[in-house]
Amino acid sequence: MIVVPQSQRQTGPTQFHAQTGPVRVPSDRWRLQVVHRSEFRYGGPVRSSYNEARMTPENSSRQTTLRSRVEIEPTATVHAYRDYWGSTVTAFDTHGPHTELVVQATSVVEAGPEPELPDPVDWAELATPDVLDRFGEVLRPTPLTAMDAPVVQDVRELVGDADPREAGQLVCRFVHGHMEYLTGSTNVKTNAMQAWTTGKGVCQDISHVSVGLLRALGLPARYVSGYLHPRPSAGIGTAVTGESHAWVEWWDGGWSGFDPTNVAEIGPRHVTLGRGRDYSDVPPLKGIFSGPRSEGSTVTVEVTRLA
Amino acid sequence: MADLFDGYPLGQQWDEMFAAPGRPRAPYSGLFTSLQPMSGEELAARADVLSQTYRDAGVTFAHAGEEQPFPLDIVPRVIGHQEWAVIERGVGQRVRALEAFLADVYGAGQVFADRVVPRSVVTTSAHFHRAAHGLVPPNGVRVHVSGIDLVRDEAGDFRVLEDNLRSPSGVSYVITNRAAMSQVLPELFADHRILPVADYPGRLLAALKASAPPSVADPTVVLLTPGVYNSAYFEHALLARQMGVELVEGRDLVCSGGQVSMRTTDGQQRVDVIYRRIDDEFLDPVHFRSDSVIGCAGVLNAARAGRVTIANAVGNGVADDKLLYTWVPDLIQYYLGEQPILQNADTYRLDEPDTVEWVLASLDQLVLKPVDGSGGKGIVIGPRADERTLEELAVKVRSSPRDWIAQKPIGLSTSPTLINGRIAPRHVDLRPFAVNDGDDVWVLPGGLTRVALPEGELVVNSSQGGGSKDTWVITPPRPAVESAPEHEVTRIEFTTADLPADPPAQDPGPPNDNAVAQSQQQQQTAMFANMAAGRRRAEPGDGHVGEHGRGEGAPC
Repeated sequence: MIVVPQSQRQTGPTQFHAQTGPVRVPSDRWRLQVVHRSEFRYGGPVRSSYNEARMTPENSSRQTTLRSRVEIEPTATVHAYRDYWGSTVTAFDTHGPHTELVVQATSVVEAGPEPELPDPVDWAELATPDVLDRFGEVLRPTPLTAMDAPVVQDVRELVGDADPREAGQLVCRFVHGHMEYLTGSTNVKTNAMQAWTTGKGVCQDISHVSVGLLRALGLPARYVSGYLHPRPSAGIGTAVTGESHAWVEWWDGGWSGFDPTNVAEIGPRHVTLGRGRDYSDVPPLKGIFSGPRSEGSTVTVEVTRLA
Repeated sequence: MADLFDGYPLGQQWDEMFAAPGRPRAPYSGLFTSLQPMSGEELAARADVLSQTYRDAGVTFAHAGEEQPFPLDIVPRVIGHQEWAVIERGVGQRVRALEAFLADVYGAGQVFADRVVPRSVVTTSAHFHRAAHGLVPPNGVRVHVSGIDLVRDEAGDFRVLEDNLRSPSGVSYVITNRAAMSQVLPELFADHRILPVADYPGRLLAALKASAPPSVADPTVVLLTPGVYNSAYFEHALLARQMGVELVEGRDLVCSGGQVSMRTTDGQQRVDVIYRRIDDEFLDPVHFRSDSVIGCAGVLNAARAGRVTIANAVGNGVADDKLLYTWVPDLIQYYLGEQPILQNADTYRLDEPDTVEWVLASLDQLVLKPVDGSGGKGIVIGPRADERTLEELAVKVRSSPRDWIAQKPIGLSTSPTLINGRIAPRHVDLRPFAVNDGDDVWVLPGGLTRVALPEGELVVNSSQGGGSKDTWVITPPRPAVESAPEHEVTRIEFTTADLPADPPAQDPGPPNDNAVAQSQQQQQTAMFANMAAGRRRAEPGDGHVGEHGRGEGAPC
């Protein structure tokens, strides 16, 4: 028997193709459909498999989830719950012999820009015992986000006397400027320093580095899991290839979001699934199975602007 | 021939038995009268029988990686009923407060919002399991079984040293110690009215059944053990046998569709309550260590769905952390609105620079405990440590003060102990065991007295080479006995058979007459024989465990 963790990673948006749908006036709220399909193939029949999917978009002031369902093949018993971080979890197990496992999440959401934030607090406020205690778990480094002191020092100098909100943006832009987006350069277990050292990574790595540096500066910071519609000028009704995406949020009096991979504000193209300290708190799919080795997996994300 | 206790030295510490040389404390008067005329050789001969009895029964504990007989000292520890009442109330109070705290930590977190305990204390604890957040047990109980470690200070007051809310072990020794002692020193049992310990398994089973999912009429309870190589396997086998429940390993369980079942020769049988004696990290590879093969995949989500109860609950370790310990008196006030009945040892958190500096300057006068240590590991007793140890300690404390707490040393009480044919004082502690059934916290009368056998040794943990003592809670003597001017006279003039046959109303102990006392002994003796049989039955390949799908390959 082999017990194998199965997971998939967040690789960020790929290049998109030429637009084919009708052109619409940009609106500050989009209705988006996301179809997120994961297929796992095994070298022989797997007898049992226990998994958790975090593929249900959240409801927040920025985003309304109109519809969301997770379908599993072969048939599985499903139990849904909300976890510590607020993510909706679809827990399922399946026991009939199977050589392929398919998990498909289909969601329709309306997403918009981030709501107006309160005025930023100053650095002194961030250093109060109250803030340090309240946000302790998103201030401390994790194995996936810890950054070495020399890098932190560089960032400190870069930030200078910027206020915390400006500093958050500066950090994200700094990381973007120093890391090349390159799929296949890292894997699901790569930590922030490893990715930083090679100067390459996907959205997961870029977000881990950003989160690590934000925390090192004293900004409470979270890793956000979600999707991004790759095309700002997307046509209505046209399905395009997307991918699982990741970005960051930091607390500067309110939670400011930013997409360091694309140097972009969080807006109507971003669909939020959940947030945590790092990827390991919000993996879209994780689980274990007993049986022969995995022969690979395919993940596709298809996003369609509906309105 | 010298009398047994003649020349017994009394030190600075409280002695459990003697208030002054030759003057036993009231609860010990009967024991003193019975043992004093014996010679050391005589008692040593009985002790040999006792240890032989223990060896035959296979009562062992793993120490330094080896199975060793767990030494049982022949001189019991006696606690008077009034003193016991304080412990009983104090332990119950503590458990109720910690239950409320755990419900809060894994729920609303009001205690943080009200700034009673810093959130960081919990979020930095290695035993805080976010996967257990929002999991509400059916009858609200998370601490089905606890062991609250107490010591008695120089003034004779019991102080709490540590709470154990995960898988406290040692209760099997309470049961076996009593059974063995009643075989070897039957006359002592005839002379005392000792609250029984044999109903522990029944109480535990009732509490476990009470915690089952509410829809289940006749719940099935199992005891989940890591297996025969675990240091407490003996206890797992004993408790399962005495409760009449299946002793299972992870591979005997399967979780399918949110329902846990065990494989039996008759097919699969539904399981409603899992009394697990494996650590959180190994319980469920879906949420914790994915390489664990001794747990049961899916069990945590089954519990979350309300289909099975895990006892003790996942994540309890956040409330028995040595750092959280320093807040327990505050928690008692906050949740119960009561003053603590049992005090903590004087303890210092290393969260302020001034405190850290003071502690660093006073290391040779303090006890330093690692916050995450257990089994006495890593504890440095300043007054007894050499310079090098203290220097190394200072480096560690300075680099991560949060990992330590400092305590003023307590001169642990001593208890007369048979050492090489002589009675000598040795330090003891006490671990009372509490069972919470949701309505009431019941405290097993007595608990485990651990004794540090090396002279002057203060660490009494069984995994550090300690022994144990049978621990008696004795009920009040009869009025006739009480009015007698001298205990010695009482013993001479009244045989037990002469005492009134009717016990006083609401007497919780067995009546002090020969027939009943003997029947009590017989029960204990019979139980002890069964226990030995149970040990044999639980050997690998010899019991029902071996019949459960062994070699079939587990699903998880």
